[in-house]
Amino acid sequence: MSTATESPAARLVLNIYVGLFCLYLFLPLAVMSAAAFNAYPYPSVTQWQGFTLEWFVALAHDQRLLKGLLNSVIVALGVIAVSIPAGLAGALILTRLSERSGTFLYSVLVSPVLTPGIILGISSLIFWREFGVPGGLFVAVMAQSSFIASYAMLLFLARLQRQDRTLEEAALDLGARHTLVFRRITLPFLAPTAFTAAVVAFLQSFENYNTTVFAIGGEWTLVTEIASRLRFGLSPVINVVGVIFVVLTLLAASAYVVLKGKPKR
Amino acid sequence: MRGKDVRLDKVMIRFGDATAVQPLDLTIEAGEFFSILGPSGCGKTTILRAISGFIEPTEGRVLIGGEDMVGKGPNQRPTALIFQNLALFPLMSVAENVAFGLEARGVSRADRLKRAQELLDLVALGGYGDKKPSDLSGGQRQRVAIARALAVEPSVLLLDEPLSALDLKLRQHMRTELRAIQRRVGITFIYITHDQGEALAMSDRVAVMSRGRLEQVATADQLYAEPATPFVATFVGEQNVLRGKLMRTIDGIATVETAVGRVEGRLRAEIGAGAEALVMVRPERIALGGNAGNSVPAKLVARHLEGPSINLDCEAAGQHFMVTMPNGPAVRDLPEDLVLSFGRDDALVFAEGALANG
Amino acid sequence: MASLARAYGKLLAALICAITVAWVLVLIVVPIGAMLEQSLWWRESGGDITLSIDRLYNEIAVIELDANTATDPAKRAAIESTLEQKRTEIATLEAQETNPPKMYGLANFTRMSSLHLYIFVRTIFYALLVTLLAFIVCYPIAYAVALASGPRKTVILTVALIVPYAINELLRVYAWLMILDYRGVINGLLAWAGFIDLDAREWIPFLENPSAVFLAMIYTYVLFMVFPMVNTLETLDRNQIEAARDLGASTWRIHRRVIIPHAKPGIAVGCIMTFMLSAGSYSVPVIMTRGQGGDWFSQLVYRQFYESNNWNMGSAYAVSLLVVCTAFILIMMRLFGVGLRDIAK
Repeated sequence: MSTATESPAARLVLNIYVGLFCLYLFLPLAVMSAAAFNAYPYPSVTQWQGFTLEWFVALAHDQRLLKGLLNSVIVALGVIAVSIPAGLAGALILTRLSERSGTFLYSVLVSPVLTPGIILGISSLIFWREFGVPGGLFVAVMAQSSFIASYAMLLFLARLQRQDRTLEEAALDLGARHTLVFRRITLPFLAPTAFTAAVVAFLQSFENYNTTVFAIGGEWTLVTEIASRLRFGLSPVINVVGVIFVVLTLLAASAYVVLKGKPKR
Repeated sequence: MRGKDVRLDKVMIRFGDATAVQPLDLTIEAGEFFSILGPSGCGKTTILRAISGFIEPTEGRVLIGGEDMVGKGPNQRPTALIFQNLALFPLMSVAENVAFGLEARGVSRADRLKRAQELLDLVALGGYGDKKPSDLSGGQRQRVAIARALAVEPSVLLLDEPLSALDLKLRQHMRTELRAIQRRVGITFIYITHDQGEALAMSDRVAVMSRGRLEQVATADQLYAEPATPFVATFVGEQNVLRGKLMRTIDGIATVETAVGRVEGRLRAEIGAGAEALVMVRPERIALGGNAGNSVPAKLVARHLEGPSINLDCEAAGQHFMVTMPNGPAVRDLPEDLVLSFGRDDALVFAEGALANG
Repeated sequence: MASLARAYGKLLAALICAITVAWVLVLIVVPIGAMLEQSLWWRESGGDITLSIDRLYNEIAVIELDANTATDPAKRAAIESTLEQKRTEIATLEAQETNPPKMYGLANFTRMSSLHLYIFVRTIFYALLVTLLAFIVCYPIAYAVALASGPRKTVILTVALIVPYAINELLRVYAWLMILDYRGVINGLLAWAGFIDLDAREWIPFLENPSAVFLAMIYTYVLFMVFPMVNTLETLDRNQIEAARDLGASTWRIHRRVIIPHAKPGIAVGCIMTFMLSAGSYSVPVIMTRGQGGDWFSQLVYRQFYESNNWNMGSAYAVSLLVVCTAFILIMMRLFGVGLRDIAK
């Protein structure tokens, strides 16, 4: 677990600490998951009244949560549609600007990442009201995209830094027009990153709360709906949502490990 | 395919404050194998990129086949460039790589793959069309790059040190192959290199560049035997360099007062008596003993056996001489005291100027 | 711009520029500008104006009385004109009463009540504390992960860190809510052990203590501290540590002189992210306190927008928060000598 440079005692202490930290990370999730199967109508693991799946059934009939899920997906897809092209365009410009003239643009484009989420939500809400667009799914898409596009841009930038410029030059030299070069050389090179960026954008959007809660107005997403439920009373149905999240994440992580663990050809 | 001539008309190229290429004129004939030779940073790659259209000259014009190329991008010029790293498209198959230029010209998929196959046959890679470039060896990749460039039927093929990544054996083999391909297709080749061996072995003519200037444009033989400047003399092949003062010149033969006494040689510069001068003698033009015009008594310091030849390191009045002799019985058991001699025609006298290696 | 056109062609270059400009303007600069503008104006409240109108009506009544008694036509005309003047004055004031004019100034900032100012300062202080605690908790973890040997161990540790990170922030907070609630896990265990009686409401009110928010907040944002530090520590040449140990340096000295200086950019980034997230966090306090603990500033902002419906005041609060976060970022960048390009990784 640790390095060979530590003394055995130090290594033991460090290992115990890492173990405790993992407990700190996972125990709450375990508690939350377990309560989803407890027949007791208040989320709890200490007052165990028997195993049940009734909360799963309740979730399946909970129209507001289901609508929220649909809204979350709509918003996430909208965010992908806005932030991937924006991030790509920003990265393409920045890779062609000199360090000096690029720094200002770079600062502007990454600033949303360093801005508190509620402020992005508020500023979008105010901005779009000027055009008569009230808070809702559209404003949520715009507010989230402002910083998710920055993340996408950073991913594209990292990829472009590893790009062999001569490939584009070679294609041009062979008589290709810029659009063909872009389509056949640049885009295929960036495609894996675009996929990664889309996944990241989807996840970021899906789980975003601080920005969305200000921008969403009278609409709701899965996450804002959960939050408003939590404010008024706890229900094991929320735990069921949590279990689904945990299971999906674990599946994705295992898939990742399996794929990553495969020896390369 | 028909070659076209390339003309640089008072071309000057500047990046910011730095002048990469001083104003120069250069004409490369149609169908010629032309090399531009020079140390790194001399501006040769800049010239190549100006011909291929990746940069516009700050001043002057580039003409290909008599046509002014101003405002034409690399995709509008009748040139094809083979990059130093080859720049094969890693995500495309070998055949797709070769066919790419035709794809850009709107040739149908079937036709362009057929043409790619012909070109792969030409470079002896017939069975490799479906492989990825990463599956090929260095020499094979080299040939794919050539096939890809030839596919667009360029009038001028530009090569940017494409052999530098190969090992020595393969490099020598590829020299012959490149020359053979050029003879077969008959188009103009412009070859950039810092390796004089490559330039001298393949080219019809060679331009030597230094610090953004053209030093000399000549055939390989002329460059070696009749270098125009001290830089060319020392960059191409080896030289013994003596510093001194020009005494007089009679019928083109100059007498120079040096540390090892008076030395006579052919004057290659327009300088008068009293000027600082450089005398250059190639190591293989120096003989031991005899009286070939100039003779210098010297001491043998070291022998460096090279195999077929041997280099003798000699010293006279603090001046080192390198003498190259064929290896044989004559150079075994040499005495410590030697007399070095060389003819007046074998010594060249230049004005003091920049040398190739310091 | 010229190099862009050369690289991508005029058409694509124009498209790329257009998209980027749209992003900068529509998503970043103009919305922030709109928020700033919103924070700088207010509408005069109606109270004073109503008073003036009432006073004017009284005056008119008095003057009208005068007019009835006056006989001199010249005097009468003068009174009439005064009346006319007063009536137009009333009309303008009444228009203002229904639609008060915009007033520009810093009043939204200066009018912040002392309670709200206190909450603002306390929130900043808490956020700093969360950042510090998160750093202390995370440093050993980042060290262990970054220098872990064997690719398998690294993968496992990374997954162990990424899985909780991928679970929704709210659900992670919710898990802590369940643990610390009145009838939560801890109180449940205490009751089971016989220390307290839940039916008699003898629970320990963890949620009413600010440390509950701390605990959940560190839990929520801890990985934003870990990952940047891991990134920089991974680039540390282990031979440096061994060389230092070989030279007789103690573990403490090695960390202070070799490892921490190397990890500086990562520490700066981790602290910036953690501070920014916790100072601006709405989710954690709103769920953890549920109105029982003290408010965080973000909750005040939300109420200005969605309960008091005072967007001007809300914007001023948001701008204040933004200013503090920006200042923190600049200070950290200066202190740790890192540039913006090191931050965004």
